[in-house]
Amino acid sequence: MSRKIEGVKNVNENPCNMCMPMGGILALKGIEQTMVVLHGSQGCSTYMRRHISQHFNEPIDVGSSSLNEKGTIYGGEKNLKQAFNNILRVYHPQMIGVLTTCLAETIGEDVERIAAEYLRENKLNYPIVTAPTPGYGGSHAEGYFFTVRRIVEGLAKKAEKNYKINIFVSNISPADIREIKRILDLMQVRYTLCPDFSDTLDRPYVRPYTKIPEGGTKLADIAEMSGALATVQMGMTVDESISPGEYLREEFGVPLYTIPIPIGLENTDIFIKLLQELTGGVIPLSLQNERGRLVDAMIDSHKYNFEGRSAIFGEPELVYALAGACIENGIMPLVVATGSKNSTLCTLVQDLSAEKGLDFIPEIVTESDFKEIRGLSVAKGVNVAIGHSDGHYLEEQENIPLVRLGFPIHDRIGGQRILSVGYTGTAMFLDRVTNTLLAAKQKSYRQTMYNKFYRGKEKSEVAKYELLRV
Amino acid sequence: MAITEKELEELFEKMPKKMEKNRRKHIMIKNGELESQAIEANTRTVPGVITNRGCAYAGCKGVVLGPIKDMIHITHGPIGCAFYTWGARRNKAKTEENVKNFMNYAFSTNMQEKDIVFGGEKKLAAMIDEVVDMFHPNAITISATCPVGLIGDDINAVAKAAQERHGIQVLAFSCEGYKGVSQSAGHHIANNNLMANVIGTGDMEKAPGKYSINILGEYNIGGDSWEIERFLKEIGYNIVCVMTGDGAWEHIRNAHVADLNLVQCHRSINYIAEKIQTKYGTPWLKVNFVGVQSTIKSLRDMATYFDDPELTKKTEEVIERELARVQPVIDQYAKICNNKTAFCFVGGSRGHHYQGLFRELGIETVLAGYEFAHRDDYEGREVIPDIKTDADSKNIPDFQVEPDPSRFHLRMSPEKMEELKQKIPLGDYAGMNLEMKDGDLIVDDLNHFETEEFIKLLQPDIFASGIKDKYVVQKMGIPAKQLHSYDYSGPYAGFNGAVNFARDVSMAFASPTWNYITPPWKTAPLLEGEFGEGGKA
Repeated sequence: MSRKIEGVKNVNENPCNMCMPMGGILALKGIEQTMVVLHGSQGCSTYMRRHISQHFNEPIDVGSSSLNEKGTIYGGEKNLKQAFNNILRVYHPQMIGVLTTCLAETIGEDVERIAAEYLRENKLNYPIVTAPTPGYGGSHAEGYFFTVRRIVEGLAKKAEKNYKINIFVSNISPADIREIKRILDLMQVRYTLCPDFSDTLDRPYVRPYTKIPEGGTKLADIAEMSGALATVQMGMTVDESISPGEYLREEFGVPLYTIPIPIGLENTDIFIKLLQELTGGVIPLSLQNERGRLVDAMIDSHKYNFEGRSAIFGEPELVYALAGACIENGIMPLVVATGSKNSTLCTLVQDLSAEKGLDFIPEIVTESDFKEIRGLSVAKGVNVAIGHSDGHYLEEQENIPLVRLGFPIHDRIGGQRILSVGYTGTAMFLDRVTNTLLAAKQKSYRQTMYNKFYRGKEKSEVAKYELLRV
Repeated sequence: MAITEKELEELFEKMPKKMEKNRRKHIMIKNGELESQAIEANTRTVPGVITNRGCAYAGCKGVVLGPIKDMIHITHGPIGCAFYTWGARRNKAKTEENVKNFMNYAFSTNMQEKDIVFGGEKKLAAMIDEVVDMFHPNAITISATCPVGLIGDDINAVAKAAQERHGIQVLAFSCEGYKGVSQSAGHHIANNNLMANVIGTGDMEKAPGKYSINILGEYNIGGDSWEIERFLKEIGYNIVCVMTGDGAWEHIRNAHVADLNLVQCHRSINYIAEKIQTKYGTPWLKVNFVGVQSTIKSLRDMATYFDDPELTKKTEEVIERELARVQPVIDQYAKICNNKTAFCFVGGSRGHHYQGLFRELGIETVLAGYEFAHRDDYEGREVIPDIKTDADSKNIPDFQVEPDPSRFHLRMSPEKMEELKQKIPLGDYAGMNLEMKDGDLIVDDLNHFETEEFIKLLQPDIFASGIKDKYVVQKMGIPAKQLHSYDYSGPYAGFNGAVNFARDVSMAFASPTWNYITPPWKTAPLLEGEFGEGGKA
């Protein structure tokens, strides 16, 4: 028997991504007064709640249809309907989102039919959005966008022109979403941002406690997305089949503008310029000043940053934006990696490298794992890693400091508050990277000098000479 | 304050009919005057209530197998399940000489759609070849996730072939997530396979020395097992293996030589304890190393079992010294904690174990329960014959063991055993309910709705549970203590652990943070009257 399939790796060693329904939950958490049910084994919802909770430090209520062996044989319809009953009664949500799991998809559950039947049987006119998200169907990154698309498919109705702008954000932090809303307000843009989990997954401490947090994109606003002036989607790497903006374009003719997440000067410029063009508005002085401050910060740090050689990993969309932000500051991305399957990311980063005239092509790997990322980072001489918490082995075992960003952050507090978008957010991101490089340098300065220049007593004259040349 | 029947009735009325009917059987107010008080447990969770329960895979790979450090644990399935069990439980392991340590790794076959359609056996087999090439493990486990059983991948056949191909042990666990009603099914599946194929396969014929023991159902969360081992070793015990915290396949294989099995978490490991006794004659003793007094009692019970004046003397010496060292510190913390109340809702044993430690700090547990326990964990093992087996429990094959022809031997005469059973919990667990006071609430498989309602009714000072309800509770203004992963702290077991726990709980009460909840423009009394979460306002 042949031991190896040439060129194909079968083991995923230390994963860099999670499964589809995980992203689906995040998307649904950004919708006003919505409850989520996972149709499958209850372990799925428990595991995902646990991990989301740890990142956001928030309660994450996700129901489960608690399928067991009987359900797998006879179908889980009864369980799912019972779950609807209990959730409606106990939580009084305005919408229910149903995500499927490996189990439900493997046994071929048609959740859309079950949901429709449930509504008919109970004479309810009520939004239940379904999204088939088997764990084997993609990573949490695809699960996220696909679920956003399903939400829009389920809720958007033919509407009058309303001259608003639809903003679809990718999986960024609640702080990032708030910053984008601030910029939109500064630019006096009328918008519908979806999904908006800036409050629901980072809720203020208020009494009394409510089961479902305030906030989220309003259902009525989603319904009217079809009448918008345009859609702006932060989704350069998002496939058409799972793109919510693409759906609105095809179905309702809403023009779609796809942009990177506004992290980095150029990426933010793209966003601001697009808003200006779409609305014909002016860019307020305060925002222009923010840009000026960012440029000032970039200049202040440029020598430190140019010593940076980065490895960037995480969800494709985030990774792409970060690659741009790193390149413009000379923190050259030697390794660009995602656990998701995404060939667009490769093309985009290659194009970006060519456009910027880099004298190297970053190592771009998709469907990757941390064995590969770690190996490449060491081989390429990376000195700063940028990505989510699971890169901590790079830090602990390879001495490559990690700037934590993305999802999940589980070994530090405050993943929900990490701000990296817009001019101000970019400056903060940049400072985090620069200071990490500086800290590493300062920590190892004496040792580096010793190793480089000290050659024992007899060679001390030489060392002195070399030091003078530094 | 205790809950009244009336308040409980009002709570039930808020539930949908079917849910109410179900939940009534899982919630009870302790009443010691009744001869027996049965609670329903280990039955299906009502769909759509937000339960804390996990799945069979979680119990098997996540809990029991995961901590065995020198085996490579392969998750056969799509990526999520492997990711979610990667280091999440804080079961610590250190590298020993000549024992491999793969604790930092997660291995998945990362099944894709085509694997679901065409089957994942080939991928799994090729993956085993790869990990053997790369890591040279002594043994491998394969844990199945939901789709595996459904698409008919024969992981047992793959394991068997790989075992022959590589000459190392490869074990397959059919712990698909939908089996059973909670992670408890997974414990059972893991126990069966370890018992059938690992325990007793080592070469050792005799115990390595006097007082040889195994520690069962201790998972070394935050280093608990290291603290327990510290004083056990000092007293003179020889620890053959720990199942499974910081455990090693190398050591577990020789578990048969020990003269006593300690059982810490009854729920997750009692199957192994029972079967070792049948097969090798080793009795098991229920211990509880959480809390100073419980630890002392467990140490004395162990000394009683071995019945050796020298061991008893050393035991008392260690107890005296440790007590003198930790008690004054704990007493200081107790001043902060005194007269407070707690909810204690954890998995399968900590819901019980921590009550004693809370009591030592002056904190009364007014509500307790388990996520996935069975009736015997509540009511004691004497109810086992009365537990009805249902379709869900029948799905887990129970295999029988016979006394091993060469390795079975009685550790003492049956008469002596009987005599000991009168004194110490040998082969017995009396359950959690016994420890609770009349009027206390006992809740099985507590859900989020009930959590909120009971907090409003009873207003505990601290809520001990896991990360999933931690933030609900804290947003209600009540400190929470994670008893699954200890909020990155620990150890909490043994003498030093009790001090750590007292410190952490005191911090929760004494932190200045809680003083700032009410904005200065809102006066406190008004808030209590107008906005209190109900119940007591």
